[in-house]
Amino acid sequence: MKFSVSKDKLLEGLSIVQNVVSTRTTLPILSNVLLQASEGEIRLTTTDLDVGVRGSVEAVVERTGATTLPARRLFSIVRELPAAEIYFDVDGRNFASIRSGPSYFKILGLPEEEFPPLARFDDARVYGIPQKELKDGLKKTSYAISTDETRYVLNGILFSFKENKLTLVATDGRRLALVDLELEFPKSQEVDIIVPTKAVVELQRLLREEGEVKVSIGENQIAFELNRTLLISKLIEGNYPNYRQVIPSEAKERITLERETFLTAVRRVSLLASEKSNSVKLIFTKGNIDIVANTPDVGEAKESLPVMYKGRDFSIAFNPEFLMAPLRNLSNDEVYLDLIDEMSPGVVKIPGPFLYVLMPMRLS
Amino acid sequence: MDCFYAAIEVRDHPELKGKPVAVGGSRDRRGVLTTCNYEARSFGVRSAMPTFKALQLCPSLIVMPTRFEVYRQESAKIREILHRFTSLVEPLSLDEAFLDVSHHQGDRASLAAIIRQLIFQKTALTASAGIAPNKMLAKIASDWKKPNGQFEIREAEVGSFIYPLPVNRLWGIGAKSTEKFATLGITTCGDLQKATRIQLHDWFGKFGSELYLLCRGIDRREVTPDRERKSLSNERTFSSDLTSVAQCEAQIPILFDELVTDIHKSGLLDRVKSVFVKIRFADFTRTTVEKSRAPLKAESFVELLRTGLDRKALNVRLLGLGVRFREEVESNQLELL
Repeated sequence: MKFSVSKDKLLEGLSIVQNVVSTRTTLPILSNVLLQASEGEIRLTTTDLDVGVRGSVEAVVERTGATTLPARRLFSIVRELPAAEIYFDVDGRNFASIRSGPSYFKILGLPEEEFPPLARFDDARVYGIPQKELKDGLKKTSYAISTDETRYVLNGILFSFKENKLTLVATDGRRLALVDLELEFPKSQEVDIIVPTKAVVELQRLLREEGEVKVSIGENQIAFELNRTLLISKLIEGNYPNYRQVIPSEAKERITLERETFLTAVRRVSLLASEKSNSVKLIFTKGNIDIVANTPDVGEAKESLPVMYKGRDFSIAFNPEFLMAPLRNLSNDEVYLDLIDEMSPGVVKIPGPFLYVLMPMRLS
Repeated sequence: MDCFYAAIEVRDHPELKGKPVAVGGSRDRRGVLTTCNYEARSFGVRSAMPTFKALQLCPSLIVMPTRFEVYRQESAKIREILHRFTSLVEPLSLDEAFLDVSHHQGDRASLAAIIRQLIFQKTALTASAGIAPNKMLAKIASDWKKPNGQFEIREAEVGSFIYPLPVNRLWGIGAKSTEKFATLGITTCGDLQKATRIQLHDWFGKFGSELYLLCRGIDRREVTPDRERKSLSNERTFSSDLTSVAQCEAQIPILFDELVTDIHKSGLLDRVKSVFVKIRFADFTRTTVEKSRAPLKAESFVELLRTGLDRKALNVRLLGLGVRFREEVESNQLELL
């Protein structure tokens, strides 16, 4: 295999695939990137067996062929190379000679045959989704994914394709974020799947503001094709909990809040939320919210926010992180906070197909 | 509590009264008994015994499936009673706990009797108690008048109590150590008291220094109410080293059953975070292979075992299986799902 490639393009290609490289040392091949040179392009592939990514880079190919090279090492070499053009020459024993200006590197790869093939999608259900919409939907939900490994069905986002809608749901058992996207597909394509966190993170890196992403769902696998890149992931097996039942059907009070103002106020006050209880209290009185926090033996913080509120006086406490997360990831100027009482879930809404359900904390 | 699980089953199924009853896994699935009542014990049946073996000893044995949900509920009722008397309650398992009542002015034996009485009124289950100056002695004393009894070792009686006590009653002394002691002519704590600290250290390493105190009835550990269990494991040292992968794999189901029983007893099943296998090779080096999120199944451990055995081409001295628990976060956060 022999080719030349622009340093910037190769660097970009490698940065797309190198995140997926396995950190497990038991299978050295998974630390490598598969390079396949064909007419006019180099295909780059990495996998950790759960997630796989394939991209391609334009190149001048003199001799086609394939090899695998240690991905992180290759990336750090390419990044440091002094010239704009890089020349690769790989011999039959997987020795790669890399030249760029006055620099010369020789690194040893592993044969391409050892590289595990990415899953094929023959009888897949296929959907086309505007990248911008999916990107936005993932941004509004992914922060609520559970990191608790013992609740593995929650370690990902539910993609529920039902009644010409794609519903994205993420929850950690204490708060839940949900977005609906309008999408046309036949009834036979209705399905619920759970896409693991790692694939969600990679997908978010790949999604852009324009174009479509082609989604193919096969047996326990999902593929995303976008911008000349393919992302494949295993799905999380298991049943996602019945999230509909935790969404309150109606609210007693609706408070309209200026998102930025409320976010910054909570952020300031939370500086004095104790590490142990980690809560901020919202005290509602006519026309006003007091946001308060205190840490025993340290001190307290309070900020008042004038709001349209006419209901009864009451207080509710939330984990400030859980309260701020949706506010950070929304872009609307105004959000609604729907509340029932101090022990029932609160809901953050916007004038669009999004909602965020959040359990309060017990007032001590 | 006296044969806690079996006693609950007999209480809830009055027709079992007076019959040999055990709780545990069924015979055809290589089950192990979790506990059994005194009627069963008179046949030689013991807890942690494989069910098929127990049935050979006692063909009329009634083996009830475990109902840990019920046992947990009963355990909670009992803990509530214990907490009425002191906040220093250290649970050892669902049916056993240490109470520090040193602040209590009156007679401690009467206090124990009252607690046992209250437990019986609330649950119709009998409990036994040991009253002593430290945890080790209290534990030994609690077995002294079992079932439905109690025994007190007063400060002044410690010396005379411990002297004739067989060494295997001490914590950390299992079958292997007892054997080792026997070859040294040591059978009682009194015999052991003749060994010097240095001798004990030579024989047992760090544990030897602890033994030096234990065999004198000295135990300085405090009752720690919020002691949080971080892991639980079960291991076995083999009398002759295991020489093949197959031999090692054959040990997994046995160790696994015991581990699962212990996890159930701890009441922490829903907090298992990861599983691990520990291997000590013939050259005394150790390796541990751990995996989080792996299901609590024998197969998970077999997989880890293979990974571990790949690390060294040596015979195996010791195998252990274990789990680690997630931290319990004391939180006021309400749950949604």
